[in-house]
Amino acid sequence: MGWEAVYLQQVINGLSLGAMYALLALGFTLVYGILELINFAHFNVFMVGSFVGMAALELFGLSGQTQILTGFPLVGVMTFAFIATLSVAGALGVIIERFALRPLRGIPGTVGMITTIGVSYILFNIVLLTVGAGSWNFPNPLPRISWPIGGATLELRSLLIWIIALVLMTGLHLFVNKTRLGKAMRATAQDAEAARMMGVDVDRVIVTAFFLGSALAGAAALIFGLYYNYTSFIIGYTAGLRAFTAAVLGGIGSVTGAMVGGLIIGLIEALGGQLIAVRWTDVIIFSILVLVLVFAPTGLLGRANPTKS
Amino acid sequence: MLSRRSVLVQLPAVGLAGSYALRAFAADKTVTVGINLPFTGADAHDAQLIKQGALLAIDDANAKGGPGGYKINVLVLDDGTATAGQYDPAQAATNARKMVADSSVVAAIGPQMSGSGKAMAPILSQGNLATITPSSTNPDITNPKFASTYMPAGKAIYFRTVTTDAFQGPNMANYMADTLKIKSVYVLDDSGAYGVGIANAYEEQAKKRGINVMGHDQLDPKEADYTTILTKVKSMNPDALYYGGVAQAGVKVVKQSYDILPKIIRAGGDGVYGAEILKGAGFPAAQGLYATIAAPDLLANPDSEPFVKAFAAKYGEQPENYSITAYDAALVLIDAIERVAKSGKPVDRNAIRDAIQESQAKTLQGVVSFDKNGDITSRVVSVFQITQDPKYPADDVLHQYKYVGVAPASA
Amino acid sequence: MAERDTAAPRQGTIGAEVFAFLRRASPLARVAPHVRPRIGITLVFAFALLFPLIIDRNDADIDSAANALAFAALALGLNIVVGFAGLLDLGYAAFFAIGAYAYGVFASAQFMPAWSGFWEPFAWLQLVERFHQDSGGDLVHFTVSFWLMLPLSAGLAAFFGVLFGAPTLRLKGDYLAIVTLGFGEIVPIIARNWPSVTNGAMGLNGVAAPRFLGQSFGISATPYYFVGMGLIALLIFTSTRLKLSRIGRAWMAIREDEIAAAAMGVNRVKFKLLAFAIGAAFAGATGTFYVAKLQTATPEMFMFPVSVMILVMVVFGGIGSVWGVVLGAIILQILQSWFLEDLSQWLHALGRLIGVEWLQRIELASSIELIFGIILVTMMLYRRQGLIPATRRVQALSLAEQTATVELAAAPPAQRLRAIGDITFRGDEPLLDIKGLTVRFGGLVALREVGLTVPPRSVVAVIGPNGSGKSTLFNAVTGLVAPESGNVRFAGYPIERQPPHVVLGRGMARTFQNIRLFPNLTVLENVMIGMHARLHTGAVGALLRLPATQREEAAARAHCLDILALFGNRLIPRVDHVVSSLSYANRRRLEIARALASNPKLLLLDEPTAGMNPAETLELAGQIKNLNQHGLTIVLIEHKLDVVVSLADNVIVLDHGEKIAEGPPDVVRRDEEVIRAYLGRSAAIGSAAVA
Repeated sequence: MGWEAVYLQQVINGLSLGAMYALLALGFTLVYGILELINFAHFNVFMVGSFVGMAALELFGLSGQTQILTGFPLVGVMTFAFIATLSVAGALGVIIERFALRPLRGIPGTVGMITTIGVSYILFNIVLLTVGAGSWNFPNPLPRISWPIGGATLELRSLLIWIIALVLMTGLHLFVNKTRLGKAMRATAQDAEAARMMGVDVDRVIVTAFFLGSALAGAAALIFGLYYNYTSFIIGYTAGLRAFTAAVLGGIGSVTGAMVGGLIIGLIEALGGQLIAVRWTDVIIFSILVLVLVFAPTGLLGRANPTKS
Repeated sequence: MLSRRSVLVQLPAVGLAGSYALRAFAADKTVTVGINLPFTGADAHDAQLIKQGALLAIDDANAKGGPGGYKINVLVLDDGTATAGQYDPAQAATNARKMVADSSVVAAIGPQMSGSGKAMAPILSQGNLATITPSSTNPDITNPKFASTYMPAGKAIYFRTVTTDAFQGPNMANYMADTLKIKSVYVLDDSGAYGVGIANAYEEQAKKRGINVMGHDQLDPKEADYTTILTKVKSMNPDALYYGGVAQAGVKVVKQSYDILPKIIRAGGDGVYGAEILKGAGFPAAQGLYATIAAPDLLANPDSEPFVKAFAAKYGEQPENYSITAYDAALVLIDAIERVAKSGKPVDRNAIRDAIQESQAKTLQGVVSFDKNGDITSRVVSVFQITQDPKYPADDVLHQYKYVGVAPASA
Repeated sequence: MAERDTAAPRQGTIGAEVFAFLRRASPLARVAPHVRPRIGITLVFAFALLFPLIIDRNDADIDSAANALAFAALALGLNIVVGFAGLLDLGYAAFFAIGAYAYGVFASAQFMPAWSGFWEPFAWLQLVERFHQDSGGDLVHFTVSFWLMLPLSAGLAAFFGVLFGAPTLRLKGDYLAIVTLGFGEIVPIIARNWPSVTNGAMGLNGVAAPRFLGQSFGISATPYYFVGMGLIALLIFTSTRLKLSRIGRAWMAIREDEIAAAAMGVNRVKFKLLAFAIGAAFAGATGTFYVAKLQTATPEMFMFPVSVMILVMVVFGGIGSVWGVVLGAIILQILQSWFLEDLSQWLHALGRLIGVEWLQRIELASSIELIFGIILVTMMLYRRQGLIPATRRVQALSLAEQTATVELAAAPPAQRLRAIGDITFRGDEPLLDIKGLTVRFGGLVALREVGLTVPPRSVVAVIGPNGSGKSTLFNAVTGLVAPESGNVRFAGYPIERQPPHVVLGRGMARTFQNIRLFPNLTVLENVMIGMHARLHTGAVGALLRLPATQREEAAARAHCLDILALFGNRLIPRVDHVVSSLSYANRRRLEIARALASNPKLLLLDEPTAGMNPAETLELAGQIKNLNQHGLTIVLIEHKLDVVVSLADNVIVLDHGEKIAEGPPDVVRRDEEVIRAYLGRSAAIGSAAVA
């Protein structure tokens, strides 16, 4: 493999990773934009989502990567899996908001964030105690097609991620900008008090934000499983930290920022690993997080100001 | 509020009372054996399989009246903590103290992980309490160079029914050079204590054998994506990929390397020998993977057949390689107790330690004896290759890992 | 809204009756209230010291207890950062790691550079040994003593505390947490990837045990237990002394309201870094202790779950409460290492008894993290103050006290208020001289070329419609907001762009339009913080409580009480009450008292009578006039024109950020521009007839 081919391949890898981080970061930034709350539990909702996706696919008797489907059966199974995963993940987000966060709304400081750390722990450990610490073979009915591009390989699964991520992000963009509820969300994000006085049902907006955000995490989880053919109780941890950095880098609170940030972080991971060594990826990502927060807190595209008290 | 308080007071009291009730047991001729394994965290399932292997032997012996007429009481301790997510050296140290402080404990089985062993050995040494580990392979603990650290009282107390990574890693390098004719390799490890040790030992020997080690990188077991490093490896085009580490990262390495590097020869240590790899990676990803164990091929020994059957019958699952080494460890212990009892000496930990040191017990591995550091004298490293056998379930270790030979010792 | 911070049952329930009876009947009731805590502490320490003997010498239990003490020490350290100063540090374990590895490297055979002459003096000091190898040159073997390493590790960790804390100074709560989390993750990764120093993932081994009087501690847990006790006692002592000192007050002010704290003279940068440093030092010392006992260190011992566990201990025990977090840590450790296991055994037995399968397999010890998560959520939802709340319960006022007629002090003791308004410069230069001040927020010009001179001993009122920039003027002058251009001179010094605490130090104090008191602190504590800039006790003084410090505190207290006495019996009876229980008018008064405590030359009052009824307004106006007569220069933002007329010598009017009129009250009142600004064009025409 010539060096151009390697870098092309790493770019393809990076963009696929990045699309996943973008989806995960999107859900996270939606909630932050409205509540100014860092929701740690988001990344373990993602993890739960992947097990839900696995269960949904196994309902069809699928297991492993050798049972391939095509055509209508494939579309049908995938649609069902997506709907199931998005719904359950979204519902989980709504439940968390209702019982753990709504009672604390309006309390200044880090009380909300600490609670989300607790919820995150609860989700994580319930899964660990029920399914154990092992890795699970994710059923994947997608055919294994790939296309050679200039020495590198583009696989169907990468294409799938890009298409799904694009569809979801466009959908979210349209929703936020073209629907009434979306407008209500944007208004609440700018000034909740004023929005309430204009007749916006702020509670409903918040619930919607949580539902959408968590559903996106679920989508990211299903894609994750189909890409890596794997899931385990720990996947929320690293993916979470990377997606969080992506959201901050792109500008926390900004939807476009999450997308851009996700792609950048994915590329940094892939190219950094190629040029330096994978053992330093975590340090690089964390350093980016710290540097952005300290020197450019609004990120690339964001409007929230982390230095205001 | 008062009622809530009263519950808070009552619950511990009840717990206390219950536990004290349990501690009363009939004590005519009994000895206690400690079993210290990480039942909490990432290695919990393996720990269960090890415990079950040991218990199979102990329960059998007890059923026959106990060795030398002494019934064996088992004290199970967990050196894993939820905070560490796996074994926790601090907890292991506490458990070692617990066993040393309890005068009825005459010997122990475990620990599973070398990180625990390093914390426990000095304490066990000072208490002259022998332990036999079925799986801890880090060589430092029995290395005379570090005797002042791990054997401060001078006598060996850390016995093993497996050999160490001082042999497991390098012998595989020899095998790859001699039998597989590998000319270049890329080494990966999982940043853990065991993985780094075995990968480094492998790399050193590989270099000595003239294999071109094109790179050595560390993986984060919590990370899901290894496509970056595997793409990098692909660009260098080595003959083989060696992975030192346990299944948490191993499963992902096996899976993803199948996609990115379908033609490469893949090998690993005993961390990738087990049902977890088969279950997690599945076929066709796992096909062709080489794995070593730090012991002779045990499951193929015809004497093992009744063991496997009895294990499966009693516990409802297939044993693993370390279930057997644990069974062997228990057999060594039982033999030692029997010999001490027969000799008329008091059955205490000093006598048991000496008896273990002199062991010539017959086990599923053959005759087990230990050198003066506590290492097993037989230094066989066995090589297996995953070859799918569709007649058996995909996670049946006995039938999916095919024995291909002994990894030759270094000259 | 006052929060119930009481741990006792509600009045009137049976539980309350029993509880009250027990309280009265117990021997403690016969002891004076202020002696009770001391007796309690003595009993606790006596028990703790005798613990190893009581526990029938079971080494493992003593070992667990020593571990519990280590975590209690960590909880105490985090309590300083999170509880006192309000800085949520999610990466606290990093400092634990630094202390641990520091001792590990300097007391083991891990790091052995080649020997050279450079090491001779160190060998003479017994810090290193010359290690002879049969082949290759001699090496340096570090043998630093444990006792020496304790303070050194604390110092090293404190250094990193400052290093990691510095980038977070301007970040708000949750971002600060994330950055500290980042550092908390980076440290173990570096430990893992630096094998030459730390032995990487395989962990440091062979760390030397401490030696005392020639004897090595060996592996017995008892000497470690006593060292742990000593460490805890020291840390509790340090925490408590700091909490009750000027330092502690400054931290709590920062925690409650950072902006108000700065405006009252607290140097936020210095005190935040101090909190980080001292908190980190606790962890560094504990790291050394822990590793000396364990004799090994691996990177996994210091990762994010450990930081969270310490946070759970602090939250559970009581954020900000010294004894609370110790109790929280010990309870959770006991739970983890002993109670849950025993409970599991008990459940197994129960399962066997009643034949339920899953009961026999349940392992509660492995669900400790689940329990941590549940504790965090439950505590945040239902009992944010923790087991032992940091704020004390105070006796409610009796009915008589609550309905007492208001008595104002006849005249404030003149000599004690002498310091207020004390002006030492000469001439008739204006005390405050503002020229051409422009403040821009993005595209909005909040103030445009505003000028103002305030002669000493005068009262100047700033009036104008809402949004005209009055509060912005105050903010720009006191350093809360940076002006785009313009000069501000105070008593001859240029102060534009100085930080708020420097401005306060020079002698300009202010109140806030929306009242920025410190809600969870008492009335007296609020006022004492106003004195922060005039006191000089530092951390060392606070710890040692030297006679000079004690005198200073007593004088400060007396001064604050005098100032509170200005408001008669309105605030004095409520001196130990938490601010959140005060009425609105009393809060306004308290804010003024706080500002006065700093002995200002110039007092900026932002709508001091807002929300007061006419009688209260009149009373406060009178008090302000009184203060002015004592020499205090006052600049006043007011909407109530009668107050302005009665107090002000000079009035300036702002509208849309510009000064549109200036002059004595009567003149300004009739100015057409002013009327137009307030009431609109047609009203201007109409009122010309009325006036």
